[in-house]
Amino acid sequence: MEKVLLKNFGKEGAHTIDSYLSGGGYEALKKVLGMEPEDIIQMVKDSGLRGRGGAGFPTGLKWSFIPKDAPEKYLCCNADEGEPGTFKDRGIMEYDPHLLIEGIAIASYAIGAQKAYIYIRGEFVFAARRLQEAIMEAYEKGFLGENILGTGFSLDVYVHRGFGAYICGEETALLESIEGYRGQPRKKPPFPALSGLYGKPTVINNVETLSCLPAIVNKGAEWFASIGPEKSPGPKIFGVSGHVKKPGLYELPMGTPLREIIYEHAGGIRDNRKLKAVIPGGVSAPLLTEEELDTPMDFDSLAKIGSMLGSGGVIVMDETTCMVKAAYIIMRFFSHESCGKCTPCREGTTWLKKIVQRIEYGKGRQGDVELLESLCGNIFGRTFCPLGDGAVMALRGVLKKFKEEFQYHIEHKRCMV
Amino acid sequence: MSMGLVTLKINGKEVTVKEGTLILDAAKEAGFDIPTFCYQANLSGLGSCRMCLVEIEGQRKLQPSCITPVMPDMSVFTETETVKRTRSAMLEFLLSNHPLDCPVCDKGGECELQDLVYKHGPRKGRFAEDKVRHHDKDYILSPVIVKNANRCVQCMRCVRVCKEVVGRGVLGAVGRGVHQEETSFLRTRLDCDHCGMCIEVCPVGSFMRLPYRYKARPWDLVSAKSVCGYCGTGCRLTLERRGDTVVRAIAHPEDGFNRKLLCARGRFGYDVMNSEERVKTPLLKERDGTFKPISWDRALELLKENILRAGAERTAGIVSATLTNEELYLFQKFMREVAGSSNIDATSRWSAESSLRFIEATGINGGGSSVYGCAESDVVVVLGGQLSEENPVTDYIIRYITGARRNTLVIASPRGMKLDSSAQLSVRTVPATTGAFVAALLKALVEKKDVAIEGMDVIKGLSIDELSGVCGVSVDDIRWIAARLLSAGSVGILAGPDLLKHDDGSEELALLIEVLKATVRDVRVLPFLDRANQRGAWDMGVHPYLKPGYREAEKKGLDVHGIVELAESGGLGCLYLIGEDIAGLYPDRALIESALSKVGFLVVQDSFMTESARMAHLVLPLAMYGERAGTMTNQEGRVQRVEPVRKPEGDVWTALDTITRLGNLIDKSFPVQKSGDVFREIQQQVAGYGDIRGMESFKGASAEGVAELKPAFNYGAPERGAEEFWLLTGNHLFHGARLSQHSGILKELLGECVVEIGRAAAERLGVAEGDVVEVEGDDYMDRLPVRIREGTPDGVAFIPENFDGRDANRFLRKDRVISTVKIRASKKQGE
Amino acid sequence: MDEKTRKEIEEKIVPKYRTRRSACMATMQLVQSQKGHLTKEDMEEIAALLGMQPVEVEAVGKFYTMYNVERPVGRYHIQVCENLSCSLMGGEHILKHIERLLGIKTGETTSDKKFTLSTVQCLGSCGTAPVIQINDDYYENLNEKKVEEILGKLR
Ligand SMILES: Cc1cc2nc3c(=O)[nH]c(=O)nc-3n(C[C@H](O)[C@H](O)[C@H](O)COP(=O)(O)O)c2cc1C
Ligand code: SF4
Ligand code: FES
Repeated sequence: MEKVLLKNFGKEGAHTIDSYLSGGGYEALKKVLGMEPEDIIQMVKDSGLRGRGGAGFPTGLKWSFIPKDAPEKYLCCNADEGEPGTFKDRGIMEYDPHLLIEGIAIASYAIGAQKAYIYIRGEFVFAARRLQEAIMEAYEKGFLGENILGTGFSLDVYVHRGFGAYICGEETALLESIEGYRGQPRKKPPFPALSGLYGKPTVINNVETLSCLPAIVNKGAEWFASIGPEKSPGPKIFGVSGHVKKPGLYELPMGTPLREIIYEHAGGIRDNRKLKAVIPGGVSAPLLTEEELDTPMDFDSLAKIGSMLGSGGVIVMDETTCMVKAAYIIMRFFSHESCGKCTPCREGTTWLKKIVQRIEYGKGRQGDVELLESLCGNIFGRTFCPLGDGAVMALRGVLKKFKEEFQYHIEHKRCMV
Repeated sequence: MSMGLVTLKINGKEVTVKEGTLILDAAKEAGFDIPTFCYQANLSGLGSCRMCLVEIEGQRKLQPSCITPVMPDMSVFTETETVKRTRSAMLEFLLSNHPLDCPVCDKGGECELQDLVYKHGPRKGRFAEDKVRHHDKDYILSPVIVKNANRCVQCMRCVRVCKEVVGRGVLGAVGRGVHQEETSFLRTRLDCDHCGMCIEVCPVGSFMRLPYRYKARPWDLVSAKSVCGYCGTGCRLTLERRGDTVVRAIAHPEDGFNRKLLCARGRFGYDVMNSEERVKTPLLKERDGTFKPISWDRALELLKENILRAGAERTAGIVSATLTNEELYLFQKFMREVAGSSNIDATSRWSAESSLRFIEATGINGGGSSVYGCAESDVVVVLGGQLSEENPVTDYIIRYITGARRNTLVIASPRGMKLDSSAQLSVRTVPATTGAFVAALLKALVEKKDVAIEGMDVIKGLSIDELSGVCGVSVDDIRWIAARLLSAGSVGILAGPDLLKHDDGSEELALLIEVLKATVRDVRVLPFLDRANQRGAWDMGVHPYLKPGYREAEKKGLDVHGIVELAESGGLGCLYLIGEDIAGLYPDRALIESALSKVGFLVVQDSFMTESARMAHLVLPLAMYGERAGTMTNQEGRVQRVEPVRKPEGDVWTALDTITRLGNLIDKSFPVQKSGDVFREIQQQVAGYGDIRGMESFKGASAEGVAELKPAFNYGAPERGAEEFWLLTGNHLFHGARLSQHSGILKELLGECVVEIGRAAAERLGVAEGDVVEVEGDDYMDRLPVRIREGTPDGVAFIPENFDGRDANRFLRKDRVISTVKIRASKKQGE
Repeated sequence: MDEKTRKEIEEKIVPKYRTRRSACMATMQLVQSQKGHLTKEDMEEIAALLGMQPVEVEAVGKFYTMYNVERPVGRYHIQVCENLSCSLMGGEHILKHIERLLGIKTGETTSDKKFTLSTVQCLGSCGTAPVIQINDDYYENLNEKKVEEILGKLR
């Protein structure tokens, strides 16, 4: 498969507009500006593009919810990339910022937004700088700003830096954050498509999602739809980390089997050890084991086996890994990142963390596993936003497959491995 | 908004409710109570505590009933095993980091967490870890607020009420996740309304009353329903005592139009009742000027003698518009029928004509609008007073309703006020030019739309530019307001006490209302008044020209100005003041002191040794709010019953007891009555009081045409020398009338008189908040600490009228519509 | 806050947004970038400038972990990722090693105020774990030797 998202990854100088233009950059935007917005939305629908931020919502459909006649609309690009195990958006922003900017311009035109914000996590200082520079370049060349390419379409793009809050990746928390509040999710409905940023219709899309757009425009919806499985097509960036020989980003067709990603592209397990578990899509995704490695990596196939594609951040753990410790790290993360708004997540994730912590520290008690399971049941489906659910899915995943390791820890006050 | 109906099923039972109703409320209507923490009726929906989750057929997840509106044919289940398990689970989570220190918690016994755990909670805790602790010792946030963050359940009611209702926003949720704490900036002392709403809405013992700390348990308390005595809003409250000491005032959400709302005065001013300084027995002034206790019998005899000796024409009485309707009614009846005098008034501050005009203009005599009706209008106009300070709870209601409905709020006032920040437009008028401002508005209205109203031709000769020049509001702003008014479907007008005090603007307002009635049609008018029963006093006929029910008196008596003039000329034989400190309030100190000193026999019945009482020959004790039964009528015309929470200590009588016995002493046919008897008589006499069931009715009195309103329309801006300040006086946020200065708690919020000026003036004078300045009137000078009021223009100053010895009226002159003062930075000590 | 900073806020930050309040995160970032943390006075000033209550500024500051509210940090703020991918690749050893090298514990600042050591959640650089961030910069694929070199240069 020809790479479209990471074709410039690691290339010196690829981030400049000259380099981007020399590769046919901004042609898609030019083409789009001569089209009717509805036709673009239809094209994206036809392409089958689904959101790469985690939930896999069909992008064209999301856009079509935006009221056409609203005078003020916004596009927000979700570059918060906070899900542990995920580092794909940063790759695009650092090496191909114009790809994203072009995608943003296309999407903004399609939905009729005149302002777009890129919400980038605060730690990504370098990427934010690159983006800002690229935006200036695009303004200079007339791809952004007033009356773009003489078409009458105007667009301003701004970078808004987060400052250390995973929850701001959740789309409504992201909006709160841009508005200058603490990043706590908003109630839905109203959905952002009707009442988003400053109460105006707003689309929120992930960096990778938006970066797919120029290729869809240039190569056509059919081309995109032909890659990978019918119901979730297109190229996808998989970020592989953990105990593999060649960790890194791999752009592959959606639906590439996990085994192929790990063993062919990422070079297999380090020191040729045995694989113990793998998280397929960021820590919220329930982990998989050896026998599930042939699962195609796409939204539906993973959902079918009780996990999820999420952000496509693959974390590989070999046989030396203590699953209690892994669970503890994940629970520590969720309790640290719980925004505090709703009861089950705020109190629940902290409680879960404390129990897993005491098991990990050799202070576990008989019944702790059952207690964890019971608390998971009390949190799941009851939280205000999906963060709490994510914590439960992750822990349930570990408990389901490695319960005996927890029991061992509780009984022997030490690791099994 | 469409008013469609929706039918749905709750636990199989069909209910029909208004479109947009929350599942929670629909369930309540169907008879199913859903437990909540974060939900609060008058706050924005949050849906965060997850106590109220319910099952909805066809939905995978449980849904928060407190933010989910009903849908047609929805089927909701509120009592399934899953729902019950969820409630118990949420409580278990809340308890996991809760200190469980109920035995030492003030909230014990009335804690929502306790109650809900008892009803729905787990019987055993499974949490065995260290709890998150925000701090060791409770910390103090204000003279009235003490905080314990460890007990918090994160419902955010405090933060929301402070921002959305009170309009301060000084509380925030600080920290993230389990470390989140609702508190002030860096936990420092709050500079706020000190209204205690954060305490009232707190479901647990996280925000607590400092004055009530460790004082009582709910079951130790004896309570009675009353009405706050501090302003015309007339908030319903429940007073509670332990033993003989009143320890708390609370507002019940289910009881009273104000729901849970009270301001600092209402919530914390109750302790005036407990004051040691109260007058506890009748006192007679000796030749050497000292007071000696005497018996009530002797006191009444003396009063009788002096009234008879003075004779009808030379007797007068002024009562405070804070007494009950029954007392007010009896007072005028006694004066008219027994003493034979119509020289009566219920104010020290304005003329009978001024009040007539105001009554007529605002339609007080013809029913009225509720504060909610006004607040829900498409356009709400506030004029003629500083609503945020004079009537704080009215301000709170306007804020949260206009905030939620996003209707247009317009303010015209000489001083800046907190409500400004909620307004689409807030303009500053030159003091005492409300009339010119409204006339300008009328001009702008007829520019846009032709209205044929009787009396309209008078404004033909006026020019909008000139009027704008007089009132200081730009023509653009005036036109903007007029355009809003004309495009509104309904208009609410709140008109304040400046119209009365400056006898300015009532006629123009009446005409404006006529014009709006002809164009907009739906016009709702609410007078906002600074005395708790001002409206009742008028309804009861405590007015020299008006008898109960706004019937014209056969014989016009003297109003307060006439009475003072008569006294000054040496012609007043006996003056009986009940609860009214005329010496401290009459808008000309020099004149009133002189006049009072010439009264043949001055009787002052009051709860404290007021400025007037000190000058009296005879002083009688007086029971105050919380110590008497009867009814009160608030500014909306809402008649509310009050019950006494306790009997006053000492030999203190109510005005009602005093008047009936005095009347009976003079004239045996004057019956000795109880308040219930008097109320029945009022019902016969005053329209609108006929139908009071339960604790309140909402109608008010009604009669037509008490005054003829013919605007004179000749305007000139009041004079002010360069660098002088116009002086406005009135109630302070923490003080109402002359009573609050005896509340130890309120005194902690503001202990001494201040002068309030705008930021520009402060900068010009080179003074900062708290600096002492010299304030100089015609023949009086005082040094007062400065308070800066954002939004007040240079040239306007305000001094609260609530402090003995530092009385604002020392700066006032009767011959001026509005007095002026000079203000200078005071030399610092040692300079 | 000096004139130049105010000007930058008014001209570069505020115009990006529809409300002044929206500018608060970036304003706080700018002010913090000048001295490493935010003081009471900073927050009061920012609040006044943007029409907020000081407590709202504090609440924002204490929600987002990268703000150092009333918490001075050393010239170099070293943040070690403690999330899963880094942990799998030896992040904890890196942390221990830095503690040893600097002679401080996590959460502390060296006595010369040069280094502050903290842990962070995932830095979004899992493919090059273990990772640390020092001020604005990432240091990736670390091992003990690399850490020594980096710290050596900063000392
Ligand atoms: C707790 C939480 C964290 C999230 N973090 C991110 C994130 O870092 N980046 C992202 O693109 N989407 C994230 N999402 C998903 C977004 O809410 C949203 O679905 C996405 O940005 C939509 O874009 P898409 O349709 O292009 O995927 C997160 C969701 C949740 C609930
Ligand atoms: S002072 Fe006025 S507004 Fe406040 S509680 Fe009393 S009556 Fe209500
Ligand atoms: S009451 Fe509904 S979530 Fe709190």
